[in-house]
Amino acid sequence: MPKLTIDGKTVEVGAGKTVIQAAEQAGCFVPRYCYHPGLSIAGNCRICLVAVEGQKKLQIACNTQVSDGMVVHTQGEPVEQGRAEVLEFLLANHPLDCPVCDQSGECDLQNFYMAYGRYDPRFAEQKVRKPKAVPLGPTVMLDAERCILCSRCVRFTDEVSRTQEFGIFNRGDRAEVGIYPGKTLSNPYAGNVVDICPVGALTDRDFRFKARVWYLSSSPSVCPGCSKGCNIDIHYTLDRPHLDDGARVMRLKPRVNPEVNQWWMCDEGRYAYKAIDRCRILKPRHRGRALGWETAVLELAGQLARIEPKQREESVAVIAGTNLTTEALYLAARLFGEGLQIRNCSAELPVLPGSHDELLIQADKNPNRKGAELLGLAGEKARPAEPWIQAALDGKIKSLWVIGEDLAARFGEETVKQLAEKLELFVYQGSHENGTAAQAHWVLPSAVYAEQAGTFVNCDGRVQALTKAFEPLGESRPDWLILTALLTRLELPAPGNEPAKIFEALAAAHAPFAGMTYERLGLQGLPARLDGAGGLGGPAAGAAAKAERK
Amino acid sequence: MTDFSVLEKEAKRLLGLYEEKQAAMLPLLWLVQEKVGHIPPAGEIWVADQIGIGVVHVREVVSFYTMFQTRPVGRQHIQVCASLPCALKGSKQLVRQLEERLGVKAGQTSADGNITLSTVECLCACEQAPVAQVNKTYAGMLEGKELERLVAHVQRRPGDLFEPPAEDRWHVDTDGPVLSKRFGNAGGTDLKTYLTDGGYTAAGKALKMKPEEVIDLVMKSNLRGLGGAGFPTAKKWTFIPKNRTKPVFLVVNADEGEPGTFKDRYILERDPHALIEGMLIAAHAIGAHKAYVYIRGEYFRPYDRLQKAVDEAKAAGWLGKNIQKSGFDLEIILHRGAGAYICGEETALLSSLEGKKGFPKLKPPFPAVEGLFRCPTIVNNVETLACLGPILKNGPEWFAKLGVARQGGTRLFSVSGHVKRPGLYEAPVTVTLRELIESDRYGQGVRDGRKLKAVIPGGISAKVLAADEVDVGVGFDSLTAAGTMAGSAGVIVMDETTSMVAALQSASHFFADESCGQCSPCREGTGWILKMVNRVKAGGGRQGDLDVLLKTAAAMEGKTICVFADAAAWPVQSYITKFRSEFEAALKGSEEALSCRS
Repeated sequence: MPKLTIDGKTVEVGAGKTVIQAAEQAGCFVPRYCYHPGLSIAGNCRICLVAVEGQKKLQIACNTQVSDGMVVHTQGEPVEQGRAEVLEFLLANHPLDCPVCDQSGECDLQNFYMAYGRYDPRFAEQKVRKPKAVPLGPTVMLDAERCILCSRCVRFTDEVSRTQEFGIFNRGDRAEVGIYPGKTLSNPYAGNVVDICPVGALTDRDFRFKARVWYLSSSPSVCPGCSKGCNIDIHYTLDRPHLDDGARVMRLKPRVNPEVNQWWMCDEGRYAYKAIDRCRILKPRHRGRALGWETAVLELAGQLARIEPKQREESVAVIAGTNLTTEALYLAARLFGEGLQIRNCSAELPVLPGSHDELLIQADKNPNRKGAELLGLAGEKARPAEPWIQAALDGKIKSLWVIGEDLAARFGEETVKQLAEKLELFVYQGSHENGTAAQAHWVLPSAVYAEQAGTFVNCDGRVQALTKAFEPLGESRPDWLILTALLTRLELPAPGNEPAKIFEALAAAHAPFAGMTYERLGLQGLPARLDGAGGLGGPAAGAAAKAERK
Repeated sequence: MTDFSVLEKEAKRLLGLYEEKQAAMLPLLWLVQEKVGHIPPAGEIWVADQIGIGVVHVREVVSFYTMFQTRPVGRQHIQVCASLPCALKGSKQLVRQLEERLGVKAGQTSADGNITLSTVECLCACEQAPVAQVNKTYAGMLEGKELERLVAHVQRRPGDLFEPPAEDRWHVDTDGPVLSKRFGNAGGTDLKTYLTDGGYTAAGKALKMKPEEVIDLVMKSNLRGLGGAGFPTAKKWTFIPKNRTKPVFLVVNADEGEPGTFKDRYILERDPHALIEGMLIAAHAIGAHKAYVYIRGEYFRPYDRLQKAVDEAKAAGWLGKNIQKSGFDLEIILHRGAGAYICGEETALLSSLEGKKGFPKLKPPFPAVEGLFRCPTIVNNVETLACLGPILKNGPEWFAKLGVARQGGTRLFSVSGHVKRPGLYEAPVTVTLRELIESDRYGQGVRDGRKLKAVIPGGISAKVLAADEVDVGVGFDSLTAAGTMAGSAGVIVMDETTSMVAALQSASHFFADESCGQCSPCREGTGWILKMVNRVKAGGGRQGDLDVLLKTAAAMEGKTICVFADAAAWPVQSYITKFRSEFEAALKGSEEALSCRS
């Protein structure tokens, strides 16, 4: 492996790597506009100039291959002068409209000017005029004057989304980015071009003028939109209620995870955040009457306790959604299966058909089916939950507790209405008002993913942690907390009063999670052990599932 | 709505010529333009469908090349060359005259749709400046009678082809010793004449040699790349990897576009078999069995002449399979450009040939390792290849002896501007620039008894030399030592009436127009410089402008993928530095410094 020196630091990198990658490894930041690790090398912006000893001219770090013994300087006179000169060219025809530009505050023209520019501008000519505020599609707005022609968006739609919308027309300083007249930018990944645009040329129509980025806080999380579990950052604000009708979340941004989503996320997931503050269930209620958590937990624990042990086997059913965190699923199994000995406790419902592709989007729109499978609550070995609906309509099942699964969306509102009439006890524990919440006797408000810590296991078996961005809305509570309250009230052993402890208990009980803690999962997650001892559907997983059901 | 389905048979043939479908982009767009007269959106969509590519990429290409029209143009399209050699000979006045006589403004089409008048960058016919392209024909020396003939033609016969004058009204060398021997055949040397002249014996000889022997022989001849870079030709050939799995391509750079240069056009038109023979020798040396000739789009007649010669050679067994029973195969495909100077840069040429915008490619990898279609590729200039036949025939020592220490042979010098006898001269590189300008054998001195002011020795990219700097040899090494370059050997002569501000404006316009726009320093720098020079030229110069110009030019140097930005910087630096007082006078609004002709 070639060894080279960058700013005095020796670093050993894989052959075939470039100087910009080696500098990253050495902890030396090299500015970049056109370079993006997820795209082919364009080498056009010229901001990543570095000095390589023995080379007369400055070299671009993005396209210079490392070689053994190479000595690179990312700082110092010639490099800094070169960068400042390149910046002056990039800004020559730029409108410098930062005060009204949405990119302000996260713009690499601003950032690098402050870091490497700070010259007195000498350009005193008429700037080139280009189209402004051009809607390219439902989500993206173009300002061609702000564009620095780095071609990241062109390469993204050529190489990643493979939809070929963007191009750069004309030449010289008349060169202009755009899409073919009459076409729209509406591919399922369109929003990513806003993320990768290093300047304010491509902005998000949804986010545009909604909030200044410096008012935003960020919390790492995992997109709950499908089973891929793309890593995201939740950008939110809690102290500016005049923005966007008081909504807390302003936008989602993909967070890099080479094992999952690389740098990207789909638009479906990106814009699903709006649901976080809309149509939420805010208080526990019983037959339309709001009540406090204490009362609700007391009442429901009492009702569960009063069911005859023999009846629990036959006439009670618990349906958990595969959108719950692994912790909530685990506690549901502990409470209803292990604790109350309810046999009909499962998350196994057929996966509904959904849009999907080969890049990220998965047909299963639930984020944690794999987690449910690893706990034995879903998959071939789990009890199918679908027949219980008919059983309930037939009067065989008398109590039904549903967590996070909208039965109305699956079986129709009429069926749910009939269920409400037939059942003696019908509990819906969930975050949003829907057809099931409208009919259930008891409604318990759950927190959404952004409001709690927990884990999802993605379709490839990667265990990934959510972090709590902010408090649950209204009186809603995380499912783990609701279930823990019930366990405690029923005097059943509860694994702990925080998600980290629950996860540790879960990891101790289920081989695929063996040895995992939140700390070890970190921000990039870990693969569940699906091999030999803990193979998915293998003996250990089966045994774990059996142990759970016992 | 045009029915493009009638073009499908021809489209299929074109797609079949190339290793990758997208390479048929330019030919397909030409096909559409021939059919419709311009390229409408429906044509772009049709081309995109033929290739199987997003239509946005077709639009990118259409918008990049100046010869592709997106709106209808007149039945007679007059494109006046505005580059420096023509500007020196009054192209601005020519445009004004045409505007008046034809009743149509530059950039517009007459109401009846008969005439479109526009200006273009260098047509590479500087020997006949001022020149215009009239549809597919060049109309040169557009003054007096020739101008009248052109005006009468376009007014009377809107659909007809303009006939160039029967005989050269400028000088073209015809006595060799290497390249110009058959330039006397104004109609083009046919195969029979070429064979009578001993043609193809060199190729026959080369095919009997081992490739390494051919390379060694050419190495001994000291042949250097005559496109402008002067890189030793045989050495370039040795960069082809020995253990390769992919096919090797020979690509001929016939994208002559350097203002002040017109030599390759004469080889293509008058001695095309010399090129083909050279290609045979080079292809054998590098192991290529397919060769592409990339000819600039404006060269309609050269294209036709070369295609005819290729067909002749093929029919006579000098191209195709098992050439002259040697076991060697070579297929030649002609490929037309569409109006982009940058495509003369070898990697931009390859991008263009692959059906993309003419963007120079990042190096490494170099073309010899990964070039056309990611295969090993050698790009050689027309004149370079045309030297190979004579080298093989007369021996490398003969060729080396014609030149100087590290540069063998002669060169074709394109002499234009304010000389008495502009033309194409074959000369040894031992001659001096002064001889090229003043000798009776060459330019015969500055016109009208005026004094020499400045000379650009190697095309517009080369730094200018002042009148007292012309006692210098015209070889690659001697001109480099003189702080400029031999480049394409396009010698542009300026007399004392020339405004250097106007000359810089012309050069800056050229570079701003032709920058591909890929790298930020070049894209923004060329436009910035042009705007400043325009302002200075218009009398709006300010104190400090010259320093900003010099700093901006310096900042462009050495920071881009190709050397276009450097070439754009050099005129700024050399004109301002060497004629500073004239520029300073211009800042003060001096009329004399600002006018182009006295």
